[in-house]
Amino acid sequence: MKKKWLWLGVFCAIVGGAQVTDEKLKSAQGDSASWLMYGRNYSAWRYSELAQINASNVARLTPRWIYQTGAGPLQNTPLVFDGVMYATGSANRAFAIDLLTGRPIWRYAKPVPEGVQGCCGTPNRGFAAQGDRLFKMNAEAMLVALDAKSGGVLWETKVDDYKKGFSATGAPLVVGNKVIVGIAGAEFGVRAFVDAYDVTTGERLWRFYTVAGPEDPVGRKTWGGDSWKQGGGSTWVTGSYDPELNLTYWGTGNPGPDMDGDVRPGDNLYTCSMVALDVETGKLKWHYQFTPHDVHDWDATEDPVLVDIKKNGVSVKALLHANRNGFFYALDRTNGKVLAAQPYTKVTWAKGIGPDGRPILVPGQDPTEKGNESCPGLGGGHNWQPTAYSPQTGLYYFGSTDGCELFFKHKQEYVEGLRYQNSTTEHVPNKRNEGSVLAVDPTTGATKWRVPLISSPSAGMLATGGGLVFTGDGQGYVMALDARSGKLLWKFQAGGRVSGAAITYTFRGKQLLTVTAGDAIFTFALPE
Amino acid sequence: MGFALAQGELQNPYKNDPGAVEVGRGVFRISCSPCHGIHAEGGRGPNLTLGGYAAGDRDVDLFNVIMNGVPYSEMRGYAGMGADNVWRIVSYLRGAAKSAAAGKLPGDAAAGEKLFWGKGACGKCHRVNTRGGRLGPDLTRSGRSRTPQYLRESVISPDADLTPGYETITVVTRDGKMIQGAQRGFDNFSAQLVDIQDNYHSFLKSEVTSIQREDKSLMPGGYERVFSKSELDDLVAYLSSLGVNR
Repeated sequence: MKKKWLWLGVFCAIVGGAQVTDEKLKSAQGDSASWLMYGRNYSAWRYSELAQINASNVARLTPRWIYQTGAGPLQNTPLVFDGVMYATGSANRAFAIDLLTGRPIWRYAKPVPEGVQGCCGTPNRGFAAQGDRLFKMNAEAMLVALDAKSGGVLWETKVDDYKKGFSATGAPLVVGNKVIVGIAGAEFGVRAFVDAYDVTTGERLWRFYTVAGPEDPVGRKTWGGDSWKQGGGSTWVTGSYDPELNLTYWGTGNPGPDMDGDVRPGDNLYTCSMVALDVETGKLKWHYQFTPHDVHDWDATEDPVLVDIKKNGVSVKALLHANRNGFFYALDRTNGKVLAAQPYTKVTWAKGIGPDGRPILVPGQDPTEKGNESCPGLGGGHNWQPTAYSPQTGLYYFGSTDGCELFFKHKQEYVEGLRYQNSTTEHVPNKRNEGSVLAVDPTTGATKWRVPLISSPSAGMLATGGGLVFTGDGQGYVMALDARSGKLLWKFQAGGRVSGAAITYTFRGKQLLTVTAGDAIFTFALPE
Repeated sequence: MGFALAQGELQNPYKNDPGAVEVGRGVFRISCSPCHGIHAEGGRGPNLTLGGYAAGDRDVDLFNVIMNGVPYSEMRGYAGMGADNVWRIVSYLRGAAKSAAAGKLPGDAAAGEKLFWGKGACGKCHRVNTRGGRLGPDLTRSGRSRTPQYLRESVISPDADLTPGYETITVVTRDGKMIQGAQRGFDNFSAQLVDIQDNYHSFLKSEVTSIQREDKSLMPGGYERVFSKSELDDLVAYLSSLGVNR
C-alpha cells in the first residue's frame, strides 16, 4: 500500500514538473501531444499533422466532455501540454482543465475594474507559456504571470492605464526570455504599441510605438499637427516570429479617430500596417502599410502567417495576411515588399494594389455625415478570427464577411478616456451581408474554393494532416470541411456561437479535437 | 447599480450643454444606434425621439435605464461607458426629441382600431397585447418603437424595411410540395417557419429539394387601395398610439 502511494507521488511530480522550454516552443509543430502557443507554431500555421481523424471517419466524431466556463463568450485558443488544458475566458477568467475528465484543476478570476472600456466587451484570446509559467493579458491592460501548477499569481505588470482607454484582449507571444504583448484602445484615442517583458520579473524590456511620434521624424511627418498623440494603431491579435531572421511580425489597427480622417492628414504610420520588429531591441526592421490614412476601421491585426512560397521557381520567405480591407496579401517577410495582392471579397474602395505597393484608390468612398456606402463593411472582409495554412494542400484558409455598409462620420473633440471613434456604420437597407469560408492559393492570391455561409463567419480555422479544415459559424455549428474541396464532412450543433479556432492534439495516443462555443469548451474524439 | 437610490433626484450635469449634446450624439451613434437607429428614430429598439419613454420621462429615468438596462429585454445596462457619457446621451436625446416633436396626427385612433380588427383584418397576423395572430410582428408597442411615417410606409409597402426575423421562407419538399411561411429560424443547415395557417414547420436543408429565404414580407401589398386616405390616417393614428402613455 505504501509503495502505491509512493508511485502516485512520482507520477504527480512528473505531471507537475513539466517545463515548456525554448526548444519545445521552437519545435512546437512536431509535438503532436501539445498545443503550446496561440498559432500552434511561431509561423502561426494552425496546422497539425495528426491524421487519426480524417475524411473517412470525421463524421463519427463524438463529444467526450464539455466544460461550462460561465465566462463566455469564448474567443480563446486553449493551450495543451502534459495532460492539462489551459484556457482563458472573458472578464479576467481562466481555467486549467484535466484532459481525461474535463474537470477543472484550478480557476483564476480577477474582477475587471470599473471603468475598463474596450471597444467590444472584455474577451480574451488565450495564454502563452514558458517554463512552468503562463502569461495572459487582463482586460485592464495588465500582464499577468500565473504558476501553471496552481494558477497562483507570480507577478503582475501594468502595461498601461485603462483610465486613458487602454485595454487588452490578445494572447501574448513568448520568445526566449521575452513575453511580447499587444494592446487595444484605438477607439479611445490611445497611442498603441508592441511591448516585450522579462518572463521572470515582468520588467519591461522594450516598447515599439505603432504610431510614429517625435522619436521617429520620418513617420511623424505622416501625422498632421499633434494628431499622432491620439493615433490609435492597436495590436490586439498575437504576432508571429521567424527565428532565423529573429523578427517578430505584428499587424496594427486603425488610426484614431476611426472615421474622421480630416483631423489626422497624412498616411498615419504605422497604423493599418504590418511591422517587423527586431526581437532583441523592438526596433523597426520594415513596415508595409496596407491602408494608408484608413477611415473605415480596417485594422491590419489579422494573423501574420509565415510560409515559404515558390515565386518564379524560387523559394521566398513570405508572410500571408488576409486584410480587413478585402485584399489578401503575400509579403516578402525579409523586406515587406508585396509578392501578391488580390481581393478575396467585393471591394469598392480600391481598384487594386499598384506596383509601388500602394492601393489604387476609388474616389468617393469615405464616410460622410449622412452615410456613404463602401465595401467591405467595417468588420471586413476577414476579421481577427484565426486563419490556417496547410503544407499538405498548400492552401491558406480564412473566413470572410461579404457585403457593404454605410459609413458615417461626425466631428468630436478628443477627451481622454472617452470613445473617440467619430462615428459608426449601418447596414445598407434591404441588402444582406453574407459570409464564406475560403481557401486561397498563397502564391497568387487566387481563391481555390469558397463555401457560402448565411452570415459573417464567426470562427477561426484549424487545418490537419487528415485533410480537414475545422471551423464554425455564428449559429452554433462546428464543421469539418474537406481541405481540398471545401465539402462539408461533419457538423455538430454546439448551442452557442463558435468564435475561437479549434485545436487538436493527442491524449493517451488518441487524437482529440477541442472547440469553444458560447460559454463552453467541447472536446471531441472518435468513438472507442 | 444603486444610482437610482442616490439621495434626492440626480440632475444631469450636462443639461443644456451643446458640447455634451454633440459628444452624446457620437456615443449614441456607436453604442445605441445598432438598435435605436442612427437618428434615434427606432429600429429593433424603440423610437427615442417621441419625447415619451416607458421608464419615465425625467432625465434621471433615462439615465437609470441606460445605466442599468431593462430587465427581460434586449436592453442591457451601459454603466461601463461611465455616468458622464450616459448623461451626455440623455442630453442628446432631449435635443433629438425636441427637434423631432411632431404635431398632432391627422387620424382618429379609435376609428383606426376598428379598421385594424375589422376591414383590414390586420389582427389575423398581428398581435396587440394578447389579441391577434403571430405570423407578423407584435404591434403592442408599435407607437413607441416606430414613427408615424414609418408605420404608414410599412402598411403601404411592407417590403420597404422588413423587420429582421420575418423574412419569407419557401420550402420545396422532395415530393414536390411547396410550403411557405414567415421565418422562425434560419441557419446554414436548417430552416423553421410558421405558415399562413399558423402551423410551425422545421426542415433540414439536406432533406428537401430547396429552401429559399427572401427579404420580403408575407404581408400583401395594396392597402393604399383597401383604405381611403382618411382611413389610412386613422389606422396610423391607432398604431402610433400603441404602447405610448401620452
